[in-house]
Amino acid sequence: MAQSSTDFQKAYEEWLERTKRLMEKFPERKDEFSTGSGIPIERLYLPATLNDEYMEKLGLPGEYPYTRGIRPTMYRARFWTMRQYAGFGSAEETNRRFRYLLDQGQTGLSVAFDLPTQIGYDSDDPMARGEVGKVGVAIDSLADMEQLFDGIPLDRVSTSMTINAPAAILLAMYIAVAEKQGVPADRLSGTIQNDILKEYIARGTYIFPPKPSMRLITDVFAYCSQYVPKWNTISISGYHIREAGSTAAQEVAFTLANGIAYVEAALAAGLDVDRFAPRLAFFFNAHHHFFEEIAKFRAARRIWARIMKERFAAKNPKSLELRFHTQTGGSTLTAQQPENNVVRVTLQALSAVLGGTQSLHTNALDEALSLPTEETARLALRTQQILAYESGVADTVDPLGGSYFIEALTDQMEEKVIAYLKKIDDMGGSVRAIEQGYMQEEIHRAAYETQKAIEKGEHIVVGVNAFRVEEEREPKRHRVDPGLAEKQIARLQAVRAGRDGERVRQTLAALKRAAEGSGNLMPPILDCVKAYCTIGEICGVLRGVFGEYNGV
Amino acid sequence: MEKKIRVLIAKPGLDGHDRGALVIAQALRDYGMEVIYTGLRQTPEQIVAAAIQEDVDAIGLSCLSGAHNELFPAVTELLKTRGADDILVIGGGIIPAEDVPFLESKGIRKIFTPGTPTIEIARYIERAVYERDGIPLEQPIEVEAIDHIGIAVRSIADCLPFYQEKLGFSLERTETVEAQKVKVAFLKAGNFHLELLEPIGDDSPVARFIAQRGEGLHHVALEVRDIDGQLRRLETAGIPLVDHRARPGAGASRIAFLHPKAAHGVLYELCEKKAEH
Repeated sequence: MAQSSTDFQKAYEEWLERTKRLMEKFPERKDEFSTGSGIPIERLYLPATLNDEYMEKLGLPGEYPYTRGIRPTMYRARFWTMRQYAGFGSAEETNRRFRYLLDQGQTGLSVAFDLPTQIGYDSDDPMARGEVGKVGVAIDSLADMEQLFDGIPLDRVSTSMTINAPAAILLAMYIAVAEKQGVPADRLSGTIQNDILKEYIARGTYIFPPKPSMRLITDVFAYCSQYVPKWNTISISGYHIREAGSTAAQEVAFTLANGIAYVEAALAAGLDVDRFAPRLAFFFNAHHHFFEEIAKFRAARRIWARIMKERFAAKNPKSLELRFHTQTGGSTLTAQQPENNVVRVTLQALSAVLGGTQSLHTNALDEALSLPTEETARLALRTQQILAYESGVADTVDPLGGSYFIEALTDQMEEKVIAYLKKIDDMGGSVRAIEQGYMQEEIHRAAYETQKAIEKGEHIVVGVNAFRVEEEREPKRHRVDPGLAEKQIARLQAVRAGRDGERVRQTLAALKRAAEGSGNLMPPILDCVKAYCTIGEICGVLRGVFGEYNGV
Repeated sequence: MEKKIRVLIAKPGLDGHDRGALVIAQALRDYGMEVIYTGLRQTPEQIVAAAIQEDVDAIGLSCLSGAHNELFPAVTELLKTRGADDILVIGGGIIPAEDVPFLESKGIRKIFTPGTPTIEIARYIERAVYERDGIPLEQPIEVEAIDHIGIAVRSIADCLPFYQEKLGFSLERTETVEAQKVKVAFLKAGNFHLELLEPIGDDSPVARFIAQRGEGLHHVALEVRDIDGQLRRLETAGIPLVDHRARPGAGASRIAFLHPKAAHGVLYELCEKKAEH
């Protein structure tokens, strides 16, 4: 039944009233926004008359279906969180880079762990050969975590950790470090990625089979809803799906399908949707098609809000809001003429901001060659600061809302995503689709098509298949200390020698019993961590009970 | 007979990024090689064991995690110990230029970095394997027979009486090839075929041919087996091609044209007929 325009007028006035109240608590950055020519910039631009179609598809920012953003004032109140992913070598070195980034005005931390940590091996495990400290920081035990956050007050930063299979263990370490700093768990804010399904699909750092992995995840949901309420318990990630070669529509579809699987697992574990859903976060890629990316972010918000409301009957508005982190597309960077990457990153970052992201990582120009240096990491952060402080794009909410093109793209993106979601539902859901290799195959096909289009010259990559230069300059590179693995192993052995062996045995035995049973695994993991059990020992116990996943 | 090259694509270490490995595996398959992909998280020992067991000619290692300096040489050393160092090893991934000389000194034949066209990798492997096995790189192609001769005409209907009534050809079939904007008639006499080509529209390549050179002899079609292999030989020999990959032709055949400048003004077509059962 069509509503009258008076109803919409009333809805708008209520929104104004709520926004005013919100602004008393969270004021905007300035009293008035205007251009250099003195033209005032309004908080929100709307069509001349609000009608059914507008309210149903777009609505008002901060309200269902959230197409225009999840906050009524968006970046007029606070910029997105500038969160640069960093981590390499030892905890000590990474700690120095963290402090440097905080000094440079970064507003949140984002920890990269090395692969042995992500796959639950100690640095001296034969499987860890060559990998210690390479793509992130090596964490073997609580001792490393204490050093990683040394001098960084955990009640005043929010920390995102890219950790999946052993997410519960790293979160437990973070809680334990905070406790030593005198910060109670309920004051901690941050995110663990904790998204195992996309590991099976695209990223590859899985340990256990799907079923026990889903249990670990829902255990974290349950534990945090009680003891760490400000923590984002999962970051459901499309980023890596896109990096593996998917299209934008596949990225959103597979991510939301995974999201549905997590919600269903949590409901099956007996959790109340409005207890855990507000802490679900998302993570998307900002790729090269500027407008399609903006439409993608807007469509994702709208689809998720509808899923949570209609499919899962969530009541709490926070359960309906799709909050997301964005990282610019690593696979769009080129090793050739790397300085061109600064321009790519700027455009991608702008699409994320125009799409309403909550936090952003901008890639450094040298990431197709190695980890960033201090200078390139700073330039990447400066790119965000220029967008925020100089460009004016943050001065009004959803600046492109109402553009014929953007709204048409948003609608068509939504259609494509819904068609995929239906297909995955018909296959029996995300976990089943993954076990059949469906998403993997779809992504691989898209990746191969892209490669062929590049090689045929149908798809231009500046500096790679067009506009090349003869002599490539090799830029300065970040080097991981080649003696690092040895030092880390010595450190690990010192921890093993210095701890209370009996307590280690007891806590690991208790964890084994808990894993064999059905209770929440967070408390026994926390006990293990505090006893300085290593990540390899803890994961070893869980491998023994749960088994290992070996791909499809 | 062409040698079927076998390649093992492997992911050593813990790195989970296999987009590149999968794309290259697929591209090598499309090039005509047999490719085995190990999956993620393989130790150098597992990779070498698989390579020997599968009797491959080459191993392609992919690593994006920075562990290449440790893991790639471990593979070549193990191959040596097991007496299998005739297997060529190449590598790719996020590998800085300054690490390349070290890796080459450890027996990795070549490092391919991001942005390398997959065809370049395929050709490199092919050349290296042929050299190793003493197979001459530049072999002539193998022609089975003249399949047909193509003749450009303004109107098939107008010249059919000549071929049928005077030369005694019988009309086998006519067909329209939309992609080429041409109508064709196949005529047969004895075991010999002619293909009459009539343009559809002024922008048809055959219309342009007639406009420039008048009606008459258009192309000679050579029957070959394994058209992909023959094209590769020509490509390796640097012969200019109109079609680098075979495309569908009339009567379920697969065809490709050589550039006339390669053949002293004659337009040659390679034609692989549908396998007869």
